[in-house]
Amino acid sequence: MASVARARPRPAWPIVAGQELRDLWLGGRGLPLSLAFSALLSILSYLVATNRSLNFLEQHESVNLTLQVAIAVGAMLTLLAAADALSGERERGTLETLLLTPVSRLELTIGKLLGALTLWVAALLITMPYIWFLGRGIGIVGDALAVGALVGSLLAVFLASLGLLVSVFAGSNRVSLSLSLLVLLALFAPTQFPAGAQQGWAGELLQRLNPLTAGEHYVGKIVVDRHPWSDDVSWLASPLVAAVVFGLAALVAGARFIRLDGGPPG
Amino acid sequence: MTVVANGVRKEYGPVVAVEDLTFTARPGEILGVLGPNGAGKTTAIRVLTTILAPTRGTFSVAGVPHARPAEIRRRIGVLPESAGYPGRQTGDEYLRYHARLYGRNRTEAAEATRALLGEVGLHERRRSLISTYSRGMRQRLGIARALINDPQVVFLDEPTLGLDPAGQREVLGLVGRIANERGATVLLSTHLLAEVEEACSRVLILNRGRVAAEGTVAEIARRAAAPRSARLRVPPEWMEEALRALAGAPEVATAARADGQPGSIAVRLLEGHESLNGGIGALATAGVPLLAFELEGARLNDAFLAMTGTR
Repeated sequence: MASVARARPRPAWPIVAGQELRDLWLGGRGLPLSLAFSALLSILSYLVATNRSLNFLEQHESVNLTLQVAIAVGAMLTLLAAADALSGERERGTLETLLLTPVSRLELTIGKLLGALTLWVAALLITMPYIWFLGRGIGIVGDALAVGALVGSLLAVFLASLGLLVSVFAGSNRVSLSLSLLVLLALFAPTQFPAGAQQGWAGELLQRLNPLTAGEHYVGKIVVDRHPWSDDVSWLASPLVAAVVFGLAALVAGARFIRLDGGPPG
Repeated sequence: MTVVANGVRKEYGPVVAVEDLTFTARPGEILGVLGPNGAGKTTAIRVLTTILAPTRGTFSVAGVPHARPAEIRRRIGVLPESAGYPGRQTGDEYLRYHARLYGRNRTEAAEATRALLGEVGLHERRRSLISTYSRGMRQRLGIARALINDPQVVFLDEPTLGLDPAGQREVLGLVGRIANERGATVLLSTHLLAEVEEACSRVLILNRGRVAAEGTVAEIARRAAAPRSARLRVPPEWMEEALRALAGAPEVATAARADGQPGSIAVRLLEGHESLNGGIGALATAGVPLLAFELEGARLNDAFLAMTGTR
């Protein structure tokens, strides 16, 4: 008679996360995306460095611009990876075999979330030499990298959780990716408003409520205006709240609603 | 009993996919689950394997009630009907990952993987990417994955689908070994009735979500609905004599030349008759040599067609 598999003695989420890392970075999309990200930063750095030599862009602003692009694109990569995490498995027919294991859906969700977040870690590592190059000699590199890591991590957790949340319910990968990108575009939209619309109490409220604009505003205050970290810390409220709320929502939805065919809860 | 289902019902909105599913499976037996497309086989397996929650009813697998799904999953192995495989992983990586999800450490996972890949004949290709595997190899890999936790009950949903005859034979050989050597109960969903007759100790026929029949192959075949028919073969030069003799037999409705082999006769029995003893006696009396005889309606195939209303 076959024996019963022994009770699982250790948590499974590190195993799921480890496999996600291998799938992402060994032959997966991790390396091409990181190369594309690196190419983007190279082009951007070249342009801002050239502008600086022509005195069009002050050095602090060069660092700020590069850092903000790195944060936005790096966080967006985590969104894309997370949006594919469950709906992709569903579409490739591999979700059922995962759901058939004794691993809880919560651990599955944690593993997938951590796997997606490694894209942000890679983006941050890639960004470091560019910031060092652009900010050398003005004593800004340490602060820029630290605030970039803080704000970028909050936004990455927020966006990865958002992508995962959509992926829990999306019946297809196409729906998951397009819905996630639509939300991302909506979040970026206020940055394209005319300068007048971004000022005044309504403009500031909108900027503060939007985690992306609030986070990038805070980065600007530290890097360009050289404010102490504590002066504008209220601008971190919405990125922090978004990261916590969406992070918890993704974990709860993952634990309770991951189903073979997706679809709304009920 | 390793699987006990009691009045299980599964609804998708207004659609009832499985209705009053009640059956048992014993340790070490291979239970064939048969049914036409849409009969509810896959839904029934998904409910029993805890992928779907039942709308009503109860069941237990390996002695664990359905209210404890994680514990059931620890004791079962499943090959889903349309299982996908990560093409960028090797067979070895794939199995080791699943072994670890069942709580094995790295060393145990590697050992279990090596043994199972050997058992399903994939040891040589263990380092190849799954994307390079044939369909038959993927099915064997899927069966190996279903066995990675040394399960008490194995659910195989259409494991031979899309395989050539050689592949089908290999997979069915594996199924037999799972029951005989590992002592696991196997629930085998398939369309291949001949293989079910050969491999399964008992059969469960589903039709429109309900159990149409349950029992051994012989029991179910006996229950096949009338009308029955028979096919005989006599030497061609004895054809006229044979037809005359059969026409006088008490249970024969009609006897006529059949298409195909020379000397072949198709006989249809009268309502209420289940044998051709009188006809065979008449042939013997007339001195007609009987080369071949088959009573149709006594096979699983006939029972299946009759019970599922597809005849």
